[in-house]
Amino acid sequence: MGTTITIEQNAEAAKAVVDNIAARFGDAGVTAEAIAHKAGKKFEYVRITCSPEQWRAVAKHMKKEIGVNNCAMVTGTHYPSGGDRGWEVAYHLHRWPIRNVGAHKMIVHKGEDLKGDDIPMEFEVFINLPEGNTPSVPSIQDIWEGADWNEKETWDLVGIDFEGHINMHRVLNPHDSPVGFHPLQRQHKIRYHDFNEMYDDPQGFGRKPVDEGRVK
Amino acid sequence: MAEMWITMGPQHPMTHGLWTLRVKVDGETVTDTEAELGYIHRGVEKICESRDFTQITPYCDRLCYVSAMTWAHSYIMAAEDLLEAEVPERAEYIRLMAAEVQRLASHLMWLGAFGPDIGNLTLMTWCLRDREMFLDLLQELGGSRMHYNYPRVGGVKRDIPIGWANRMKAKVKLFENRINEYEMLLDESTIWLVRLQGVGYATAEDQLDAGVTGPNIRAAGVNTDARWTNPYSVYDQVDWEPAVEKPTSVKGADCYDRYRVRMEEMRQSCRMLLDAIEKIPGGANTHYQPGDEMIYTKAPTRAPEGATGFSTYECTRGVSNFYIKGGGDGRGKNPYRLSIRSPMFLTIPYVAKTMIGYKVADIPAIMGSFDPCIGETDR
Repeated sequence: MGTTITIEQNAEAAKAVVDNIAARFGDAGVTAEAIAHKAGKKFEYVRITCSPEQWRAVAKHMKKEIGVNNCAMVTGTHYPSGGDRGWEVAYHLHRWPIRNVGAHKMIVHKGEDLKGDDIPMEFEVFINLPEGNTPSVPSIQDIWEGADWNEKETWDLVGIDFEGHINMHRVLNPHDSPVGFHPLQRQHKIRYHDFNEMYDDPQGFGRKPVDEGRVK
Repeated sequence: MAEMWITMGPQHPMTHGLWTLRVKVDGETVTDTEAELGYIHRGVEKICESRDFTQITPYCDRLCYVSAMTWAHSYIMAAEDLLEAEVPERAEYIRLMAAEVQRLASHLMWLGAFGPDIGNLTLMTWCLRDREMFLDLLQELGGSRMHYNYPRVGGVKRDIPIGWANRMKAKVKLFENRINEYEMLLDESTIWLVRLQGVGYATAEDQLDAGVTGPNIRAAGVNTDARWTNPYSVYDQVDWEPAVEKPTSVKGADCYDRYRVRMEEMRQSCRMLLDAIEKIPGGANTHYQPGDEMIYTKAPTRAPEGATGFSTYECTRGVSNFYIKGGGDGRGKNPYRLSIRSPMFLTIPYVAKTMIGYKVADIPAIMGSFDPCIGETDR
């Protein structure tokens, strides 16, 4: 039978992380909560909300004290009509029990036996930025190496500026793309994007005047 | 000797896709590298913002043409998290089997492409022959040879056909013997060993910090596998163990370790398949009609503003993540933002840096041993 992490271990680890963040950053306004997935095995993950100024301190704390060792994904979202939330940067990070792997060693963990910081956990960090043309977040390139290309991609596609990022360049768009062109910003439309399309006629070729404004 | 830059790619057998590796060499020694991606960037994330949740599945199939089923499954898990869908247990078993058959096909494609890199042309024909068996099995499920559009939010498109179980068991048992054959062909070949051993060292901690996951870190002596660390589907109910390889050097795993761990992973997939087909609820030789409650549960089609969905999935090349935000245009019918994390997007820049210090002739061996796939990298 395959090894696995139990839901009790997961709940215990999520609570420990939430308490840890609250004790260290609770006064500074950083919030941490354990959220359960809404499908599948309904395991919990930790959602942290902080301001751009606090982010580097929180990231260093997560790496050193909580043992987060993988920066998986950086997502920028553009809210053109969002009021005080014009942009949102979401970081997804992982903690896996890979520490102090010695030379010539093989570490074969059994999921049920893992305790404390070794229990794998998912983290989601939200940073809200005000509306404006220059969204900016401090770079965490030097904290996790994996954040390097993730930040490059997020700048390239969404236009979030990562302050202090060394060697920023286009990765998916052509190098000669116009300055300020970031295709995932909401003002850039793809074809038919604003079209009230019928469900089974996405191109709208079979559309009649009577269908105007109708959404199935 | 004067240093110079060589451009390998976008058309080069080493690349296994469309990208460029710029290499700075001093004689035969690599002194610096730069990876250039984005040649087949299709803007999947942008397109998905104007598609509904069922229409996105075919786009996710096409993220990686070698491993379509696992990418669709990964997306569907995030969509289910967003839409709060329940999945019947039989559907979970079918998805598990489909994903493992796909993993076998994907690893065979890797081995088949890796062989000619090293100079073993026989391997390509052997692996593609065996891969065809598994593509036939997947075709019976999804209806097409490579892009299946098979999982649905809340279940699967159709049930396994009558007789699929027997065909699958026969093919898997045959393939278990074929793995031994491959090992006889490769592990006793001096050329294979000389080209792979002692090049491309990478430790588990370095790789994880750089975002490399999956078989590549398991080759470095850790059994971290999202199938048990972030449990999903019914992997806790079937018989398997994460494949893991003891690294041969203090400097970490070399190309040979990465080859070994994938061979072992294929064995574990076979073991899982043979066990899952015995345990599937409802019986292996029963066929439920599409939409039956055994294989499909009706799920909401719209997600409210502010809802998020997130999945962690062990894809064939490492851990893939999907992150979806609900709301937005079309009153929640489309995702407001869909973000894809491909394991290879971070692996390729990492591998480019590990090549520094080796010879130019080692580049195909190092690059190939990490199993690059550019479809998912560029998205």
